[in-house]
Amino acid sequence: MSLTNGPALTSRPIPAQAGIGLRFAHHQAVIATRPQVAFLEVHAENYFGGGVTRRCLEQVRRDYPLSLHGVGLSIGTDGPLDAGHLARLAELVRDFEPALVSEHLSWSVSAGEYLADLLPLPMTEEALDVVCCHVEQTQQALGRHILLENPSAYVRFEHSPIPEWEFLAATAKRTGCRLLCDINNIFVSAHNLEVDPNRYIDALQPALIEELHLAGHALRTLANGRQIRIDNHGSSVSPAVWALYERALRHLGPKPTLIEWDTDIPPLSILVQEAQQAERYLRRAEAGVDRADAA
Amino acid sequence: MLKLEWTVPTLRELQHAFAGALTGAGVALDIPETMTPRLEIYANTRRASLRQALGLTFPAVRALVGDEFFGLMAGDFAATTPPASAYLNDYGTELPRFVRSYAPATSIGYLADVAELEWAVSRACHAPDAPRLDPGELSELDPVDLARVMFIAHPSVAIVRLAYPADQIWRAVLEQDQAAMRAIDLAAGPVHLLVERDAEEQVQVRRLTPDAWEFTRRLLAGEPLFHALAAGRGFAHGIEPATASAQTTLAEHLSVRRFIGCRLAITQGEQGP
Repeated sequence: MSLTNGPALTSRPIPAQAGIGLRFAHHQAVIATRPQVAFLEVHAENYFGGGVTRRCLEQVRRDYPLSLHGVGLSIGTDGPLDAGHLARLAELVRDFEPALVSEHLSWSVSAGEYLADLLPLPMTEEALDVVCCHVEQTQQALGRHILLENPSAYVRFEHSPIPEWEFLAATAKRTGCRLLCDINNIFVSAHNLEVDPNRYIDALQPALIEELHLAGHALRTLANGRQIRIDNHGSSVSPAVWALYERALRHLGPKPTLIEWDTDIPPLSILVQEAQQAERYLRRAEAGVDRADAA
Repeated sequence: MLKLEWTVPTLRELQHAFAGALTGAGVALDIPETMTPRLEIYANTRRASLRQALGLTFPAVRALVGDEFFGLMAGDFAATTPPASAYLNDYGTELPRFVRSYAPATSIGYLADVAELEWAVSRACHAPDAPRLDPGELSELDPVDLARVMFIAHPSVAIVRLAYPADQIWRAVLEQDQAAMRAIDLAAGPVHLLVERDAEEQVQVRRLTPDAWEFTRRLLAGEPLFHALAAGRGFAHGIEPATASAQTTLAEHLSVRRFIGCRLAITQGEQGP
């Protein structure tokens, strides 16, 4: 493939700086203007085919470290993983040598039907076994460890005895995977399920976290008058989520941070501004770590 | 009625029931009423994702019927033919046939033909990459072997025969060209199309003559060259009696590198007298 004709491709690690999610709408703008962001993350499934979209990814890959974010493997389904999907993902990982590969702690497939959303899992020992088995199978197929991301939630199951952060830490311990912590999802879920987001942040184990996500969400009022937060990635990061991010950085230290925007996608410059905002928080956190080291 | 003791469902049972609640295929979950609007958030996301995926694959169909109608049709389609894979570029292969028998759309006779063309265009756009056959490689074959060649087309290449001039409709709709749309003669007879992603990665829709189309169809079906050349013309002596049309077509296929490889048929199959 044409990647081998370009400059040598090395799997550069992603620094503890801010990157942006690259969507089709910004392909040409990113290639033309090469914005100053530390890395790009793409949805893996968007590049399963060939042609122009793949050429674009090859082009940006020469200039930026890459993170592949899977949205359709359905790690949490009780049933076999889609072997074709996993094979395509493995091929993409082989061809593009991304610095990070991630998937979600959720499920999207039942009885061979793809349900086109990241659906919630009950946090049970049974689900833990299923998730660990599928993470191991995925890591074997890809020949590398993956990151698992906490999803946003609108419902909770009556029987769900394990806190999500413990579930994720247990998965990491058993499989060697690491975690992608989505700060916006923690905030959205905590609001919707009426729990304390700070408690979630403070329970995270810093060594397990390799990436953070930030995004905007919407506030809707349900028919029963209850306000609910919808994780639609359709606006800038809310002040409350920035505050939670700051708390996370104090606890975790600086981590690679991604700005995601998927609906009502604004001009590239707005995304870059959001990334610069995250960058300021990261530099403050870094200074904080240095002070702590000096003390 | 017997009241069963409440037990925790297995993960598989729970996922099956949750999926049923999302798709409307039956609600076996014991859902408190306050939870219904919350489940509806997931159902909404699913509907919107599928509608969007189909809308990206079938933009001219969507433009022809309007967003609202398209959304309803996508919902009806998803109810009968949900996606089997999370790779949604693979979703929609059955939509043209669905449109053909979709009662609310029967007033637009050519809609299914446009859908069929758009599916081929989408396939061409997303087909995997594959290194193309250098026609020079064939010059090393002796003429007897050349007749036995079975070509392997680039995965983006497809041929479509449609009753309506769907290619003209498709172009006029996507270019929002009202004048071109008015100039289309719906009764002009069938069109014989070749759809591909060319060597420059551009998706092309070309018209072929019926002969060239039939010849190409046979090549794409993996028939040895001499079969494809001889078919339907009473010729069975290999490459010599080929029509000018077929030779020109083959030369074009080779020069624009529509093939990615070839094999030799083990025998020549039916021999002439």
